[in-house]
Amino acid sequence: MITAGIDIGSLTGKALILKDTSVLSWSIIPTGYDSADTAKIVTEKALEQAGITMADIDYIVSTGYGRVIVPFARKNISEISCHARGAVWCNPQVRTVVDMGGQDCKSMRCDSRGNVISFAMNDKCSAGVGRYLEVMAKLLDIRLEDIGERSLDFTGDPLTISSTCVVFARSEILRSLQQGADKNKILAGLHDALVTRIYGMLNKVGLEKEFMVSGGIAKNIGIVNRLQRRVGFEFKTAFEPQIVGALGAAVLAQEALLEDAKS
Amino acid sequence: MNALERLTQLSTKVYNQSAADWKQRGKRVVGYMCSYVPEEIFYAAGILPIRIGARGCKNTTLADAHMAPITCSFTRCVLEMALTHEYDFLDGLVFMNGCENMRRMCDNWISKISIPFNCCLSVPYKTHEDAVEWYSQELDSLKRKLEATFSVSISNSDLLESIRMVNKSKQLLKELYDLRKRPDSPISGTQAQRIVVMASAMPKNEFNELLEEVIHTYSQKNAVANYRARMMVIGNMLDDYTYTELIEQAGGLVVTDVTCYGTLYFWRAADSTTTDSIDSTLNGLARSYLNNILCPRMPFNSGNIHNLIEELTRTFNVDGIIFERMMYCNLWGGESMALEKDINEIGIPFLTLDRQYIPSGEGQIRTRIQAFLEMIGRQRK
Repeated sequence: MITAGIDIGSLTGKALILKDTSVLSWSIIPTGYDSADTAKIVTEKALEQAGITMADIDYIVSTGYGRVIVPFARKNISEISCHARGAVWCNPQVRTVVDMGGQDCKSMRCDSRGNVISFAMNDKCSAGVGRYLEVMAKLLDIRLEDIGERSLDFTGDPLTISSTCVVFARSEILRSLQQGADKNKILAGLHDALVTRIYGMLNKVGLEKEFMVSGGIAKNIGIVNRLQRRVGFEFKTAFEPQIVGALGAAVLAQEALLEDAKS
Repeated sequence: MNALERLTQLSTKVYNQSAADWKQRGKRVVGYMCSYVPEEIFYAAGILPIRIGARGCKNTTLADAHMAPITCSFTRCVLEMALTHEYDFLDGLVFMNGCENMRRMCDNWISKISIPFNCCLSVPYKTHEDAVEWYSQELDSLKRKLEATFSVSISNSDLLESIRMVNKSKQLLKELYDLRKRPDSPISGTQAQRIVVMASAMPKNEFNELLEEVIHTYSQKNAVANYRARMMVIGNMLDDYTYTELIEQAGGLVVTDVTCYGTLYFWRAADSTTTDSIDSTLNGLARSYLNNILCPRMPFNSGNIHNLIEELTRTFNVDGIIFERMMYCNLWGGESMALEKDINEIGIPFLTLDRQYIPSGEGQIRTRIQAFLEMIGRQRK
């Protein structure tokens, strides 16, 4: 049984090919202006890496912000359900998941099969998520992949950033820069603000020790480190946090295939 | 055009054709805010009462100049409609102290736009005998103002007749909802919402006739197909059906509600016992309205709201509840904590969706609704 999960997020498109209990391949590309096109390209890349063709795939599930416009998917499932299922597939002990994506952040509590029991998601605006960090990295002229590390280099009191709105926070930081603030101090403040938001969301669904972080921001050591300090214990990150949603979609595709066979 | 098509067409505009025809015949139209204002008194005076809503409002550019962005967006939308002259057809406006957002919005409205008649009812916050007496005096004062302003006279028999007409309408709405109790509900939540909105936006007799036709037609129709779960919606002002449509597009079937335009308005009818004096009739009306409208503005109403939710969850066989929480609504915002606790006790999946009156952020709302329906579906397996 070969299935594929396609996760079209606001910043990146991900595709993952699953054969029974083995991940054959995955690919990640930036989401272009045409989400359907992104889905096609990212899937082709994953298929190429796995050495198979579209005809070999038994079932495709799409997820993510662009899930409804993946033309070759048989079903679309929300990223909330997919991230929970993907996280439990990676580690069956996991019961709380936080997905930190480009445009939104969500926390989920799930059962032993990865079924969502409750969830919380940030409101409409993208305050305190991937896009927020991307805008700030650009403003500070620091590579996105370096900001987490640099935020940890600062050991004093971080800059207090009172606004969660990207536009207002950007103005706050610009003013601090003009006053000669240390960039690492600003980064420490930005990361702190983000972690506070994530922590609040985690508390909304109920934090359990078997806890996993997924999504692109889980690659940011500054966030993971601070969040661990805040929750008071070490938690798991997926082997590749960015593809947990696509993985969950591929696992749910297996289930859908089996259900179809039954009926 | 059948009755449902007619009601659907009328529901798209606040000044609908039916209200315009009423005006055309030389009759008066008065707007009112909130379920606590009794329609019956207006009908008894030969006046068409129209509940103030903001369907079709696209932005709040003008209203934002007068009201802070941290006020409820429904009231800002209503003010916008008033400032853009959508309500110029009104001969009067009756409002009350339902919440501060609404009351201060009306202050803005009457200070910016000339309106021939306005009146603010002081509705008590309790339901004991002194409060009933207070409210019946308020209603008597409204009656006298209407009589003086519009040169009409309201008799006891006029009032009793209008109570019966409004009660018939509420009974018909319950019959419409009875159809939705069926496992094979023949009517969608979006269709039902368009009908319910018109109950307080057009002449009652005309509405009752159309609703009777809808009930007759739909009682013989087939079920709405392919839905994943039966949903209840809770919240305040839901006269715009977009949010219901989003739930139903994701596969939920909205079968009932606890909203200001929905069951909170019509579930319990007013006392129609025949009395021999208008004072007694007004007293009965005041008592009914204070006790029947289950709004969180009233202290100690959480238990009654809980009981209604529990009753409707059971009788409509509800699988999940979505709380459409209007941002900056202090009444329902405050009720959140009790609601969440109560619904957890009932044991029904519950989702809170923060919203503005004008639908926005559709992508994220769709994701949350879809995930909620998936969650319910998997819990059922």
